[in-house]
Formats: sequence, structure tokens, C-alpha cells
Amino acid sequence: MEKKQKNGYAGKILFVDLTSGKIETKPLDEDFARENIGGLGFGTRFFLDAIKENPEFDALSADNPFILMTGPLTGMPMNGVARWTVCAKSPLTGFYGDANIGGYFGASLKFAGYDGIVLTGASDHPIFLYINDDKVELRDAKEYWGKDVYEVTDSLRSDFKDQSQKKGQILTIGPAGENLVGFASLIHNKGHAAGRTGMGAVWGSKKLKAIYVTGTGKLTPANPDGLKALSKKLKKVYEESIFIAAMQSTGTTSHMDVGILSGDIPIKNWQMTEWDDIDELGPGSIEEKIYAGNKTCFGCSVACKKEAEVKDGPFKMKKGPAPEYETVATFGTMCLNASIESVAKANEICNRYGMDTISCGSTIAFAIECFENGLISQKDTDGLDLKWGNSEAIIAMAEKIGKKEGFGAVLAQGSARAAEHIGGRASDFLTTVKGLEAPMHDPRSAHGYGLAYGVSPRGACHEASLTFEVEGGAMFIPEIPELSDDFPEGSEGRARLNVVAQDYGMFFSNCAIFCNLGGAPLNATHAVDMVNLVTGFDYTIDDVMKIGRKVWYLKRGLTNLFGAGASEDKLPKRLMTPMTEGPSEGSVPDMDLMLKEFYEMRGLDEDGIPGREVLTDLGLDELAELLSRKQSA
Amino acid sequence: MAVFESTEKFEEVLGGFFNLIGDTPLVAEKLLKSKLIIRFSYADPDLVLLIDCSGDEIDIRAHDTDTKAIVEMKMSADIAHKFWFGKVNLTMALTRRQMVAKGPVPKILKLLPAIKPTYAMYPKYLEENGFGEYNIHS
Repeated sequence: MEKKQKNGYAGKILFVDLTSGKIETKPLDEDFARENIGGLGFGTRFFLDAIKENPEFDALSADNPFILMTGPLTGMPMNGVARWTVCAKSPLTGFYGDANIGGYFGASLKFAGYDGIVLTGASDHPIFLYINDDKVELRDAKEYWGKDVYEVTDSLRSDFKDQSQKKGQILTIGPAGENLVGFASLIHNKGHAAGRTGMGAVWGSKKLKAIYVTGTGKLTPANPDGLKALSKKLKKVYEESIFIAAMQSTGTTSHMDVGILSGDIPIKNWQMTEWDDIDELGPGSIEEKIYAGNKTCFGCSVACKKEAEVKDGPFKMKKGPAPEYETVATFGTMCLNASIESVAKANEICNRYGMDTISCGSTIAFAIECFENGLISQKDTDGLDLKWGNSEAIIAMAEKIGKKEGFGAVLAQGSARAAEHIGGRASDFLTTVKGLEAPMHDPRSAHGYGLAYGVSPRGACHEASLTFEVEGGAMFIPEIPELSDDFPEGSEGRARLNVVAQDYGMFFSNCAIFCNLGGAPLNATHAVDMVNLVTGFDYTIDDVMKIGRKVWYLKRGLTNLFGAGASEDKLPKRLMTPMTEGPSEGSVPDMDLMLKEFYEMRGLDEDGIPGREVLTDLGLDELAELLSRKQSA
Repeated sequence: MAVFESTEKFEEVLGGFFNLIGDTPLVAEKLLKSKLIIRFSYADPDLVLLIDCSGDEIDIRAHDTDTKAIVEMKMSADIAHKFWFGKVNLTMALTRRQMVAKGPVPKILKLLPAIKPTYAMYPKYLEENGFGEYNIHS
């Protein structure tokens, strides 16, 4: 019988205990949905519920719950809404971790009848979760364990293709997740990554190799006519957006051309912002040397995902997902590596092994600087001449990390732990906040990013709020004054920007789960209208800001609960060192000013912990109690 | 109040700067490679400047509204002036429609790294050509 849901939600949550093998479904409570919208709004609540009895646990233990949640818009055939979220305690940072991912998996999960999955416990042998509408089973994964992401994806799809009318969607870990690499990721359809904070290692520790999902249900919005009218209106908005045109033509790598103007692109492990060879890595070079087609996510006409192919040479690779901007920068500019073919190969290695390209490339750039400064030698690097621009050595090291082999095992812990292992001045070369390597946007060129990286609950991250999108210019939210200011150079006003960009960002890209790229042209009225038309709720902009605020405090509080305090809100020395030339010459964020203002606005105490009153006002009494207990312990 | 008091003055300043760009091999070679014809339509004061990169050398033509341009750019004279100092967040200006660009986006984007060296040239050009009053750095 065909299942139809009339308010965007699938209506059920799947609970899977990997230790006992028990699987149950529970209905999604409408009040809960109304109060939390979806995505990490749901995810953080389920996570808190799962850990509140025992908040002290290792991220790689069976006690770490893993939560996967879609949003009310996931599965709707519209631009920029195919995304879904995951969260757990991060094995890389030891703090709260989450990631956001696109593709087709989230839509399929909802078509199968589930808004999300709560995974607890751990299996003692390799397993995968099989979901085919109402048939949900934990199955033996012996034959898939050890295989890389591309092989598992192809095998699972082929093995079960006769069991459903709809194409199966696969989310899997590769060998890096199995090997508990600190920044192992989850990969869907070979090129969509829940990349950051090591969620792949969480699966590896649970011996969970993959989730296969296929579903035949349908989702219907609460107000189909209204949604149709809004979509028609938005067609023009999208046609006029040059940001969307750039995404359609060259994807996220278009930022290589734009970012170099403002000094946004880190070069040579954040020591330069200008480089003569930059064009070798730009969209022009990508188009000429490796471009092999376009891909997209469910229902999205933006199609910012690109394909790449290297036909011959040392970095030969078959047609597959192309590197995104972040990958081009981490494996390219950060390592002074001008070979775009090698960057495409590094991307393929990270996808096959299941590793975050930001952390992996940044950690290799960090290791190169250690090598160039004599802190490590070829004796340490298993013979690799790990110098700036040595493409072959960079590729070889990426593979060693995925295998956790030789010096790769040291770097597989992430750069912060590798610096402790290497010792000496190694920590001077770090670019991490809370143990997470910073993304490829330089806060010396836009100071608000500095505060965003510092106070992000999951560590240095440009997507932990909408600060990057607003201060960087890709988004303009005229209904909210703080998100439509002019932002003259400097650090003034950036604390307020961050607070409001966090509240709105939690609603936009964490709960409703709009894509920050495909959803960039939407203003607040568009976004809230879309959620209301799909869910049938009647949110105002103030309502969603309040929900967003609550989710931000939940994430912040969880990270505090896992031990992060004010000292973890600082930027590393490298990011606070002014450039001596280039567009951001002499400029560093005034972190003291911004943090002081931010703590006041957020009601954080001097340890960086939210005050009890702030939390109870938002209905987060349980979190307030847990934090209070921790502080008095 | 607008930075430039008249169309004539703006044309003298910006037209002269565009000619300098055309005579600077490091930049001109990349622009010529693009084969683009770009029309800049400025407001307050109004001015049209066409940069024709389709030939062997860069041709700058003021008030050319007839030639079919591949790229059309519209902005205020003040934004243009700020842009050449490297002080405009291009993404923000385009999102907020302070600049409007029409034409093949990849080709427009490809020009950006090519024109980057001109940011350093603009203040120097203003000082050396008697336009120092417009130099925001002086």
C-alpha cells in the first residue's frame, strides 16, 4: 500500500540498538516536530536524551549514540533542500560533533517512512543496516568489511537491485572508518560526505559498515498549491542569482577566482595569500584538465556537484566525483601543490577511504611544514620527501593515513594530536580550534569568521553558523538587520553578527536543512514560507530564530559537557599572525573584543559555559542541570 | 555625495586607468586571451566604457552603446572607484545587486585573477596623474 504523508515529515523515527540487535520504530510526535523542526533540532534532543544518564564516555565506545536526521523539506523536489544531518561525540575532538550532507539518501530514507535513525550500542562483528520500506534488518557485513567506499557502494547496489522498485541509496564508511582514523567520514554515493569531526570512526567503532535504504512512499506538502506558487516565484530569484550561476558553471571551485581577490584562500599552511601558480588550480584549469560532467542532489536544479577524470599520468583516475573548493585548497594551495590532477586523485583517495578532505589535506600541509623545518625527516615519513609541492608524496601520504600505515598512523589522529607526538615547535604550525582543522576561509580577511571558528561547538568551521555566508556576501537577509549590514573592515559588530547568524543558521541549515549553496538566494521570508507550506505549521521569523537559538545552546552545552571551555574558543597562533603582504596585510581579528562581546550577548560565564537562567528560559533545564553537576564536580 | 563630480572627470580618471591596464602586458595578455567585449555602464555620474579584448590589443571606447558586448556590468561610479582599490566584497556586491553582471559567468570569473594586480596600480596611478584627491589611501 502506498504511504503518503501530508506534512513533509515521514512520521516515524527508527531506533536501532546495535548491541542487542533490537529495532523499533516510534511515531514522530507532532508537538516535538513543531518545537524542533527537524535535522539537528531533532538530533541534538535525541542525543541529549541518550547520554544524560552517563555523559562521560569515550567517542569510540558503545556508549556514543549516533543520530541521523532529515528535515521536513528533505525529499521535496525543490532547489537546495536535499540535505540531512548526523551527530555524535567526535573521536577527533572529544567534543560534540556533527556533519551535514546532501545527495539522495535523506530523500530515500523518508520515502521508506523514516525521518531519522537513532543508533545506539555497538556490534561485535561487521554489520550493515538494510532498510526497504517496512523491512528493517541488521545484516552481516563480512563480505563488505575491508572494501573501499566505491566498491561497497557498487556491491550493495548491485546485490539488492532486484529487491525494490526504487534505486537503493548507500551511506558507508571506507577503510579509514574501519581503522578509526580520527577524521574518517561517512560517504554517500561516492562523493557526498558527512565529512567533518570523524563520524566515520564512530561507525567503525560500532562495526557498522553501511546503511542501505530504498523506499517507495511519497511525501506531500501541507499546502501543495502554495508551494507551487512559491516555487514559481523563486524561479526568477534563482535565474537572477550570479552566485547560483557560478555554482552551476564551475561549482564551489568558482571561489578560487573570487577568494584570491580578498585574501580568503590560505596558501602554504596559512602563511601566504598570494601565489603565482594559483591559476593552475582555478576553475579554468579544472575545466581544461579534469572536468568530466555535472551531478546534483535530489530535486535540485543547481547541480553544483562536478565530475572529474584524469586520463593518464601518475594521477590517473576514472570518472568520479570532482574535488570541491575546500579540497582544492587543502591539497592544492595549502601544500603549494599546483597539480590539479593530483588534487583530483587526493579527492578520490579521501572518498574511497572515507576521509574528510579538509582535515586530511590540512594535516598533510601541517606535516610538510614540520618536515621543511626539520622537525621530522624521511626516516619518520617512511622515506617520503614531504616537501612543499611534492604531489606524489602528498598522494602517498593521504593513502598511508587511510591505511593508518607508518607515519600515516600519526597523522590519522589529526594535526593537533600529531603535533603532540612530533613535539618541538610543531604546535606553532597548527590551524585547529577544539582539535578541528580550520576550513579554507581566512579570518584575517573577514574577522567575523575568526569568532565563528572560535565559538563553533564542533571546532573551526565555516558552516557552524551563517556568518561566512553573510559576511562573505553570498547571502543577504534583508528582514534581519544584523544579517543585512554593510560590514566595514574590522572586528566591530561581528559578535552581534555571529549571534544572529548562529540563531538563523541553526534554523536554516541545521533544522529546516536548507543547503547553504543551493539555498543561498533565499531570504528569511522565502525560507520560513517554504517550511510552513510543507509542514502546515505557522512559524514566524521570530519563532524560527528562537528555535535556532535553542539548538545553538544545546550544541554549545553538549560541547561544554564534554570538557570545552573558554580556552577552547581561541584561534591558533598561525591564524592570528598578520600577513606581511597581500589583500589582508596587517589584519588580524580582535578576538579579545569579539569574545568579550559575544560572551555577554550569549550569557556565557568566564569559563564559556551558558548560565543556568539562559538555558532554563529556553526550556533546556536538563542540560542546565548536567552542566551544573559537571561544574560542581 | 558621489566621489566624482562629473561624467567628464570620471571618464578622465577611469578611462585613463583602463588605458593603463591595456598598456600593462601582465594584465593585458590575460584579458586579450579572454576575447571578451565588456561594457561597463556606470551611474552617478553616468558613463559607458567599453573594453574590447577581441582584437590584438585592448581597445577602450567611451560612450559605445552600439557594439554588442559579451558581458554587461552595471554599477555606481562610487562602487567602481572602491572596486579598483580592492575594497569591494565582490560576492556581496553581486548578491545585493550593487553590481549587476550579465554574460557567461565562467568567463567573467576567469577575469578576476587577471585583474588582481591592478588593485595596487590604481592608487599609484591616481597620484601620478594628478588625481590624488581621489586616492582614499592618501
